[in-house]
Amino acid sequence: MNKIAVTGIGIVAPSGIGKRPFWANIKAGRNFIKEIIRFDASLYPSRIAGQIDDLDAYTHVSERLLKKIDAFSHMTLIASEMAMRDAGIDIQKEDPNLVGIFLGNAIGGWLYAETELRDLYREGREGVSPYMASAWFPAAPQGQVSIYYGIKGFSKTIVADRASSLMALGYARKTLSKDKLNLILAGGMEAPVTPYALLCCNTYGCLSKNNGNPQSAYRPFDKKRDGFVIGEGAGIITMENVERAKARKANIQAVISGYGTTCDGIDRIGPATDGKELSRAIRMSLDDAKVNSRDIDYISLDGLACDDWDNGEVGAIKEVFGNYAKDIPVSCPKSMFGNLLGASGAVDVIIAILAMEHNLVPPTTNLDTPAVNGLNYAAGSPIERKINKALVISRGRGGINSALVIEKP
Amino acid sequence: MEAREKVRETLINLLKLKPSEVQDDAKLCDGVGVDSTEMVEFVIALEKAFCIKFSPKEITKFCSVNDIEKIIQPKLSSLAAK
Repeated sequence: MNKIAVTGIGIVAPSGIGKRPFWANIKAGRNFIKEIIRFDASLYPSRIAGQIDDLDAYTHVSERLLKKIDAFSHMTLIASEMAMRDAGIDIQKEDPNLVGIFLGNAIGGWLYAETELRDLYREGREGVSPYMASAWFPAAPQGQVSIYYGIKGFSKTIVADRASSLMALGYARKTLSKDKLNLILAGGMEAPVTPYALLCCNTYGCLSKNNGNPQSAYRPFDKKRDGFVIGEGAGIITMENVERAKARKANIQAVISGYGTTCDGIDRIGPATDGKELSRAIRMSLDDAKVNSRDIDYISLDGLACDDWDNGEVGAIKEVFGNYAKDIPVSCPKSMFGNLLGASGAVDVIIAILAMEHNLVPPTTNLDTPAVNGLNYAAGSPIERKINKALVISRGRGGINSALVIEKP
Repeated sequence: MEAREKVRETLINLLKLKPSEVQDDAKLCDGVGVDSTEMVEFVIALEKAFCIKFSPKEITKFCSVNDIEKIIQPKLSSLAAK
């Protein structure tokens, strides 16, 4: 399968809106997890999150449209605009039939949904906004981006829990490899900081309850970990065939060269603790990229900060990389801004691309004492390292495993 | 406030439009760009604002502010007579 170029990046995250401020904060190891105060969350076991408070300052979306869409569509529209600008793409000059949108989302747009459901029970059916039908569901952002830019090509929204957006990137690459499209806007979005979505995430049971210390709560791979912390945001990249990108003299920031996915098939929520299927997904991605395991310079970890998930991930890496596992720098930078669920994989890819650009391994914060040794954890501060090839791992509930290989162009 | 002005104001507030964008005789669909879902929302808002109901047939005649006023006036007169 072809290598596919990444030519533009758009990021809307608690650590920053736009790739420069975002990377500056990641590089500096700044933490953006804080108490949830936008609604009364005092009775939730976990009531901390990575949050975006200044979205309106960055928007190009009219008030007329804003009232029809959920926050996750709003974030996607902003990130899409940034990605296309970064890529130097004028969408009006593209053939709309040959542009696609491949996005990942886990839970839908619940702020809109729960507000309207509340009105349904208070006021009856006439109290419900007619936009409810098109605002809440996971594919809504895909539809909004399509309408906003007049994009009409083959498009997809993947719902595979936290693995959704990495999977979207994998499918986008496959589609471009077959020359079905010229350009794809790919990535993911999530807006889980709402009363009902937070409740669902709490019910899931893997969230940190360290509410008194938000900035040190999310501790992937650390001995004192007690679960992950949610976050909101969107990450979008523009993907196109390398030949086309070169022909239009685009800045190729990275190429996506391999993808693999498997399922554990063990439990409806938990992963297989042996990490065997994850290691198979990693191998698939390396084989697909025609890359030797010793050529990987950095691994971006899923890092759920729960025993079964983290230990299985460490086991899978050791299984695939053998003795070399202790040498490759690995990190989970989402400890700084929260796990963006369905958007997490795409955001990790964006971080890995920026890490390659700057030859700097971003750190995992709060990783003081690894629960399981044997990996080269980049903890606390970034490590200078030339990164030519990176592996990104993303996993979802029920044992969905996905892995993506990216390379310097 | 006269009915026509109230219709106009309802539309402006609902769709966050500038007053200059809504002329009394402007076509709602082609001119103002009201889409089908916005029309549903507009109808509901008008029903609430005037305490009246529209039939589906009446709604198909919602082409401009002037047209809507023509449909609303008899309803308001009938309400007043009661």
